[in-house]
Amino acid sequence: MHLHKYEKIWLIFGIGSLILFLVVLGVGAFYKGTHPPSHLATIDPQNVQAHESFMDENLGLRQVGEDQYLVSVIASAFNYNLGTDEDGKAIRTVRIPVDSTVVFQVTTTDVIHGFQLAGTNVNMMVEPGYISSLETTFKKPGTYTLLCNEYCGTGHHIMAATVEVYQP
Amino acid sequence: MSKSSLQMKKKQAPKEEEQPELKGTFIAVMGLGLFILISWFIVYFIFVAR
Repeated sequence: MHLHKYEKIWLIFGIGSLILFLVVLGVGAFYKGTHPPSHLATIDPQNVQAHESFMDENLGLRQVGEDQYLVSVIASAFNYNLGTDEDGKAIRTVRIPVDSTVVFQVTTTDVIHGFQLAGTNVNMMVEPGYISSLETTFKKPGTYTLLCNEYCGTGHHIMAATVEVYQP
Repeated sequence: MSKSSLQMKKKQAPKEEEQPELKGTFIAVMGLGLFILISWFIVYFIFVAR
């Protein structure tokens, strides 16, 4: 088969790129252990409170070790349940010290929601029946908006909270 | 004589078409390829930096 010189070059370039990106994907998945945030952990969406992480007293921010935090959130139309403060008021802002390791674990009781901290790599889909979790370290102090990025109904645009990363 | 020269011409004609002008196509294909590659690396470095 006759191939034009240029055709050979762009075929090698195209197939080479394909191999490069498949290798990147393979290294990420099998060596680095990168998986979707809702990887294998399941929950009964009609009774999320039965799960230890999503009991009323465990919602929101919890310190689990030195510089290690756990944030448990129940997403539902159109709210992120981050627990309540001492006065029984719903928490709208989570305060986390800079450079600490934070694991977000989120589930939903109704439809699919998004969980995005604008300007960070925290961005995942929250599906009913699954616990989505993601570990991150905030390197820069600041105020980050937590918002829903999956259209979940008429109140989708008001579904938001705040994460404040502070210098201790 | 005239018949054979006609046949010769017919045989030669496709040979000239075998080398199409692909310079523009080449530039377009490589340009698009480089755009995809560079975009991927820009997004990758944003992800790593955050």
